Amino acid sequence: MKKYEAVIILNPNLSTKVDLFKKDFEGLLKQNSFSINKTEDIGRRQLSYSINNHNKGHYIIFSIEGNPVNLINIENKIKYDDSIIRHLFISVKNHQGEDSQLMIDSKNKKDDPEAEPTVIKDNEKDVLSNNEKNVTEVANSDNESTGELKQKSEENHENE
Amino acid sequence: MNKFEIPKNFDYKNVNILKQFITETGKIIPARVTGISASNQRKLTRNIKIARFLALIPYTDMHK
Repeated sequence: MKKYEAVIILNPNLSTKVDLFKKDFEGLLKQNSFSINKTEDIGRRQLSYSINNHNKGHYIIFSIEGNPVNLINIENKIKYDDSIIRHLFISVKNHQGEDSQLMIDSKNKKDDPEAEPTVIKDNEKDVLSNNEKNVTEVANSDNESTGELKQKSEENHENE
Repeated sequence: MNKFEIPKNFDYKNVNILKQFITETGKIIPARVTGISASNQRKLTRNIKIARFLALIPYTDMHK
């Protein structure tokens, strides 16, 4: 018997199906005679770099214990699951009883929920307004350039 | 003298502590600069590399 921590990053678009995935995964663990000490559902989190064109991921950490031989079976099944962006099994000496720092951070964020969504909206607005500005600018510059051309052509005629 | 906060156990989940030990470009700061013990530096390195794999810390500042 060995103790492990399984970190799984789920596709953020499937956040509503997290509970389903959890049940499936726990079933898979039980099939392979693994015992679960603790599960930490950390939730959606910004990734430091994009993985498979995803910028956010749903983190779940399982504290599990079982036979190393069976771990290969679990990993083989997880490999071909499309809803999982990335997974890692780490062997640990002892499971931590307390909440991990990631869990604490995500809880603190949930306490002030207004912080994130407003920022995103503002960004979107900026992008939209920028696009509009660009369009108008392009239109203006088109007019100017054609006007200049006309002037030039007139000048040319005069010269002739 | 030492400006780094050294915990009892380095943990890949404790991102704020690990971030002290990487440069702005994402490199691990060498032990001769951090001044922490060799065994601690090894643990630190191991955990930073795990955190990088899990996208908790960037590998570089060149990510798109």
